[in-house]
Amino acid sequence: MATRRATLLLAAWLAVAAPATAHEPATLPALDFVPPAPGTYTLQRIMAAPDGEVLGLDGKPQRLATFTRERITLLGFIYTTCVDPDGCPLAYRVFDAVHEAVAAAPALRERVRLVTLSFDPARDTPPTMQRYAGSRARQGPVPWLFLTTRSARELMPLVEGFGQDIRYTTDRTGGTPRRELAHVLKVFLIDADGFVREIYSSAFLYPRAVLNDIETLILEERR
Amino acid sequence: MLTHRRFRTALALALAAVIVVAGAAAARADETCNSPYVTKLIKGQEDYVYVWALGVEGVGDGSDKLVTIDVNPKSKRYGKVLNSVSVGSRGEAHHMGFTDDRRFIWAGGLAEPKIYVFDIGTDPGKPKLVKTLAGMADKTGYLGPHTYYAMPGRMLVQALSNTKDKGGRTGMALYNNAGEFIAGYPMPTDGGGDGYGYDLAVNPRKNVLLTSSFTGYDNYMRPLGDLVKDAEAMKRFGNTMVVWDLKAMKATKILAVPGAPLEIRWSLKPGDDWAITAAALTSKLWLVKQDKGEWQAKEVGTIGDPTKIPLPVDISITRDGKGLWVNTFMDGTTRYFDLSNPEAPKQTYTKVTGKQVNMISQSWDGRRVYITSSLLANWDKGGGDNEQFLRGFRWDGKELTQAFEVDFTQEKLGRAHHMKLGSNALRAAPAK
Repeated sequence: MATRRATLLLAAWLAVAAPATAHEPATLPALDFVPPAPGTYTLQRIMAAPDGEVLGLDGKPQRLATFTRERITLLGFIYTTCVDPDGCPLAYRVFDAVHEAVAAAPALRERVRLVTLSFDPARDTPPTMQRYAGSRARQGPVPWLFLTTRSARELMPLVEGFGQDIRYTTDRTGGTPRRELAHVLKVFLIDADGFVREIYSSAFLYPRAVLNDIETLILEERR
Repeated sequence: MLTHRRFRTALALALAAVIVVAGAAAARADETCNSPYVTKLIKGQEDYVYVWALGVEGVGDGSDKLVTIDVNPKSKRYGKVLNSVSVGSRGEAHHMGFTDDRRFIWAGGLAEPKIYVFDIGTDPGKPKLVKTLAGMADKTGYLGPHTYYAMPGRMLVQALSNTKDKGGRTGMALYNNAGEFIAGYPMPTDGGGDGYGYDLAVNPRKNVLLTSSFTGYDNYMRPLGDLVKDAEAMKRFGNTMVVWDLKAMKATKILAVPGAPLEIRWSLKPGDDWAITAAALTSKLWLVKQDKGEWQAKEVGTIGDPTKIPLPVDISITRDGKGLWVNTFMDGTTRYFDLSNPEAPKQTYTKVTGKQVNMISQSWDGRRVYITSSLLANWDKGGGDNEQFLRGFRWDGKELTQAFEVDFTQEKLGRAHHMKLGSNALRAAPAK
């Protein structure tokens, strides 16, 4: 099966891939269990993915639904200045691994896309997202979209709709109070009909598990 | 619930600020014993203890309520009740749990299939009832929601009974954080499974969900004195734990753990992959761990004198996995076990902390311990032994010293049961 090959390719990629220069010097956490085989379990419909207006790297407004329908979508919120190793950088490494494996699997590459969406529109403008994305932002057979929003007003329905928690604190340890932004990593797997079918936290974000879930959704579509 | 406008305003203010610094990792542990998916641990001084209290007829409004108590020693209202939120009915309030983002508490009663959702994120010092979910029985046939276990974006609820015969066959119900029902999972009745449920606990690193087993409505709502004289009824208690493939939500192994294994605590120490539980009726500690690749349950210790039925009811593991508090209801005793070797726990400290004690929770650093009194409305003691309280203690590693007490009867609050900790630092949006 092609997706089995994808898994093997993933393993090989994980073994030899050089770290992406700007983002991920650390290795991915090892999978410490044997995940159930694709198609032997059900991914429940957790909720409908929310829609709203987003900006692509070209700065043009588009509907997020454009990027959460028709294909299976792996979507994660980030902000480009995030340095927490269990946060955005981990998601980035996992997305890299999944992207490489999917691109190498003919049965998957036409069915999957990745979406990285910023929840920091004040800083993460389209040009900033372009720099953040680097060569990853490519249409190719496996699109990887880097999106942001024009403002908090447009971001808010997406954040709330996905249940992506963001918290604000004030750091008073320095001379001037600084407002900080914190979040808990969540990555969303969305089926071709726009339903969230899995939500991964950093405690359960493994490329192999994500690939199995993607394959499970594809097998479900075939039934 | 936090209003869209208020949250949006807060977000706009935050994003207008230039400095955006750090992300927060998903938590792998909790200040006491929450789901590993619950975030925002309180690693310093907690400000509040939320107590989910059973209503008592003739006491206050007689309804179940969420009580907020100030537990910050620096506060002028330290040890005082700040407020209570009544749900307007009495349904055997029992347990509660945080959503993964810790903005909400889900709570419920064992006498009904209702689930109450309280907003604690908007103002942690003033919870607000924002939603009541009443559809569990229609969707699943389950009765008596007990454990509320946060999953990413979801809540997995373990029930104790069913609406058909009110016996112990039951299951788990999965909701999304908006309160929409997603799926039900019956407890296994084949392969040695007895169909009972009680607690559940996840080890994400191993993709394992563990469940334990108690008894059904027809037993837990019956006066304890009557129940123990009914030999047939006493047979209707759980004697198993179930190992589940978490991803697939399929039972993979039934473990024989006789005597109603109740609360399940995974060791919080990174790298540890074992869990411990206490069997209420046999007064035994059981260890669940892998041996040659297979999950096994092993009896590893005795709690008090089992012939006197001390009834271990709640346990709380320390953050380093090296200590375990155990409350035994009948003798009102709080016990500390050294878990340095989980294969051979050693009791190193005991103290009578009440005439009846049930739940026990501790702060992240272990220096503060909170104890409540009520087990079940019809199992609590009578007369002068029916103390109802929250007691706060300091723990210096050698001695529990009581710091404050809230008398729930005097305060007309009912029976004090489950506790969760709160902090002003967890406010979901800046105060206006």
